Amino acid sequence: MTAEKRAELKATDASLIDRIVRRDESALAALYDRYSGMLSSVLNRILRDTQAAEEILQDIFYQLWRNAAQFDSSRGSLSGWLLVIARNRAISRLRRHNPASGDELSENTVVVASNLESSVAQQQLMAKVKSALDNLPKEQRAAIELAYFEGLTHSEIAQRTGDPLGTVKTRLRSAVETLKRDLHP
Amino acid sequence: MSSEHPTRAEDFDLYALGALDNAERQAFESHIASCADCAEKVAAARGRMAILAFAAPTVAPSPGVKETLMRQVIASAEGPGGSVARLHPGHAEDSGVFARWWAVLLPVAGAFALATVLLWLHNEQLNRQLADLRNTIEQQKQELVETRHQADLIAARETLVVPLWAQKGTPESHGEGHARVLYNAKEGMMTYDGWLPAAPADKSYQLWLVPMNGAPISAGVFNPQNGEMSHMMMKLPAGVTAKEFAVSLEPAGGMPHPTGPMVLVGPIS
Repeated sequence: MTAEKRAELKATDASLIDRIVRRDESALAALYDRYSGMLSSVLNRILRDTQAAEEILQDIFYQLWRNAAQFDSSRGSLSGWLLVIARNRAISRLRRHNPASGDELSENTVVVASNLESSVAQQQLMAKVKSALDNLPKEQRAAIELAYFEGLTHSEIAQRTGDPLGTVKTRLRSAVETLKRDLHP
Repeated sequence: MSSEHPTRAEDFDLYALGALDNAERQAFESHIASCADCAEKVAAARGRMAILAFAAPTVAPSPGVKETLMRQVIASAEGPGGSVARLHPGHAEDSGVFARWWAVLLPVAGAFALATVLLWLHNEQLNRQLADLRNTIEQQKQELVETRHQADLIAARETLVVPLWAQKGTPESHGEGHARVLYNAKEGMMTYDGWLPAAPADKSYQLWLVPMNGAPISAGVFNPQNGEMSHMMMKLPAGVTAKEFAVSLEPAGGMPHPTGPMVLVGPIS
């Protein structure tokens, strides 16, 4: 591994964003290397269509290239924003409507407690999230996956599963409570 | 919920998850638009929900995505006229004018390139056919010239028509063969048409004009194929009066003077 590559692995998201603002293409490539796997996974899980997933992946990073100056790293994390935007766009494509508003870098603040700038941190978080979901009761896990990966609301989940709306709301509320406790003690 | 803070902490997570139905969501958004404290909590809830993405099975993007992205970035850096590459043209949601143009122009450019190659190949084939036709025309012109010459030769009063006969006792030609010579001494023009068996491998037939005075003059060397007639037209020094014509069997390639047996002889009567 070259010294330059090692330096880019160590560079913070904020410094890479600064370099993108100065039109440094290698900084965008470094951010792509850092986060494309994470985004590709969620896009493919939602869309189950590799071609559509890769188009959105490319669009997200191109948007980052064009609008990096709008991103304020002191207000939120880049990894969180990328995950939110990827999910929003994938669900919009899945449900065949325009991307949700609040898609812009300056409008959508996301604060992720974990630092995901290294692949090791991403791997650790992945294990933690999977473990937390595995520990949920089956119905709660199904409800939260329908909400997160398919973008369904309470009513839509109730319609899909045939469960009463109140039951679905309780399940989801319990699920997010448990996840919050397990993942963000 | 529009004017009051959400009553439960999980409401922020459920909003960030997108689970709230329309009415609840609108009320929530109307509140956080004017409440900095709740907007901050929403940002944290978005982060908490965002990491659920890590429950997805790992799928690495194909290397082509990064290549296409970097080409797109470089093209955009070239200025407003820069082109925008797309990994999968035709499915973009946010493609913009350049991407749509590329989606149209790339297949058109490809079709033009293919048509150019096909036209070039077709042109090469036509050039070859044209060269063949030119060769054929040249050959036919040559044949026409020879035919005209022969016709002129036959028509001329001073042209001699001399039959040549096989000589008995020449084992090399088995005593077989016949030929005819047209000779115009004034023009020095001569034609030979005849048949002889194929010459042995190391031998050639040689036609001679035997003048009234002096040594025989070589009029050509030939090697007939089995069963085929030989045709020759030659130009000799003008004004030579011939005594006879003869064909001898010589070493391959011919000799300056006759050395071998005479297989055909045609005296001028």
